[in-house]
Amino acid sequence: MIIRTVAIRVLQAIPTLLGVATLVFFLLHMVPGDPVDALLGETAMPADREALRQALHLNEPILQQYADYLAGIGTGNWGRSLVDQRPVFERILERIPATATLAGFSLLLAVLIALPLGYWAARHAGRSQDVAAMGFSLLGVSIPNFWLGPMLMLVFAVFLGVLPVSGMEQPGAIVLPAITLGTALAAVLSRMARSSWLEAMSCDAIRTARAFGLSESTIWWRHAARLAAIPVITMFALQLGAVLGGAVITETVFDWPGLGRLTIEAIQRRDYPLVQGCVLIIASFYVLANLLADILGLLLDPRQRHV
Amino acid sequence: MSRAAWAAIILCLLVPILVMCMALISAQDGHAVDLDQVLAPASWAHPLGFDALGRDVLARLSEGLQLSLSVGLAVILFGGVAGISVGVLAGWSGGWLDAGLMRLADVVLSFPGILLAIALAAMLGPGVDNLIMALVAVGWVGFARLSRAQVLSFKNTPFIEAAIGNGASAVYIAYRHLLPNIAAPLLVEASFGLAAVIIGEAGLSFLGVGVQPPDASLGTMIREGTSLMLVSPYLVIWPGLVLFSLVMAVNLLGDAMRDRLDVRVDVQSR
Repeated sequence: MIIRTVAIRVLQAIPTLLGVATLVFFLLHMVPGDPVDALLGETAMPADREALRQALHLNEPILQQYADYLAGIGTGNWGRSLVDQRPVFERILERIPATATLAGFSLLLAVLIALPLGYWAARHAGRSQDVAAMGFSLLGVSIPNFWLGPMLMLVFAVFLGVLPVSGMEQPGAIVLPAITLGTALAAVLSRMARSSWLEAMSCDAIRTARAFGLSESTIWWRHAARLAAIPVITMFALQLGAVLGGAVITETVFDWPGLGRLTIEAIQRRDYPLVQGCVLIIASFYVLANLLADILGLLLDPRQRHV
Repeated sequence: MSRAAWAAIILCLLVPILVMCMALISAQDGHAVDLDQVLAPASWAHPLGFDALGRDVLARLSEGLQLSLSVGLAVILFGGVAGISVGVLAGWSGGWLDAGLMRLADVVLSFPGILLAIALAAMLGPGVDNLIMALVAVGWVGFARLSRAQVLSFKNTPFIEAAIGNGASAVYIAYRHLLPNIAAPLLVEASFGLAAVIIGEAGLSFLGVGVQPPDASLGTMIREGTSLMLVSPYLVIWPGLVLFSLVMAVNLLGDAMRDRLDVRVDVQSR
């Protein structure tokens, strides 16, 4: 039963991925006018224009291009970068470890802040501790990461001089980018932890536990925590995807050589095949993270299986 | 709304309001370049000093703030109208139209919002119009899904059935009966959306795919300031502070409205 539900959900992700690939394909064709003009300027030599048309396969009918593109994605042939002629797939692969490191540290930091904070706020719901914790959370979602990053640099790298400004070679280089990226995640997660813990505490099972005379801490940690964990874990899986969107900006701020930085570089150089590849890979990770969130929800919470 | 919520909102709005008023009083041109004044410190006539091209920082801050607000409101207006129309249409008609429109929404939601906006803005080319278009293309989905869900929850209620029974047209029902009933959650969505759009505009401009020089956006000002952080840290502090307080005020407003109107909206970081 459960295996079948999960399998159906996995299969549902396939049309979504196809839709993503389609939208990414049409992104290039959305460029107003001729993409060749946009790339080379209208004064380019005819020979150069023709060479670029060949490279981008712009001479073929659009449906043929689309079919080739989809087939290429499946076989790992994602086209070649216009800047250095290397395969797009290769250029993307070499950037993944840096982004994975950054995302990993940010998520770890977010969880370490969010869970205690959410618990603390829920335990003191409606009182000043709760207001303070949720105030922090609101601060976290409101502060733009492209400003938080420079501010952290200013304080810790320039004034205090305890951490490197940017790049990833020096020790401690991960700290500031991870805080920058992790803050918004921590804010969202702590809110979620608080509200799910409170919701769990108001259910019948908890009232029964109270009636049995269990101690408050047993109720909070043994019983409510299990119920509260379901939405929090689902939310965490969703954040696995959301972190990639934030990484685009954070990596640019800190010159962190990951996928996000590559995307922006490709956009600035008008390297369209590389832009397509980057957007496609990030969106695919995002879809997979959402899929993971759904599956975890199904596995952890029997109530969701019948919806 | 509680007094504390109002106090917090007003406190946050103080920074943007102060910037606007001071800019009105000092009445400088944010585009006038004075190369003798490059990075010159603050004075009475120029309370926040000059940037790297010798332009008045206060005037540019005020210009950027107005841009943030106007782009934000435009995106929420266009995205809201488009999204609500699509959502009501999908929820009301059901069938293949509903399925098709919601698959389209799913595809848009398969991207981290900021990434899709970056890609669209980069492909459409620079300029405020394209920036708004890119943000609308991402922003309508939230409104569409929310209004569809709301319409579905009202579709089979007695008062709607009574309206159908009375021979009211679908447009009349949507306008007269559905919209007033689904307005509250949409209003909450609009205010959280506004905060996201304001950050989005500044983010795209920060990355260089939004507002182009010489026009001022808080995002471009942060980017320009970041490169001069060692020389003149205020160039990055001020625009960020203005942006942050504005977004914080809008988020507080959303929170307060949600509590007041008692609706549940999924607030996800975009």
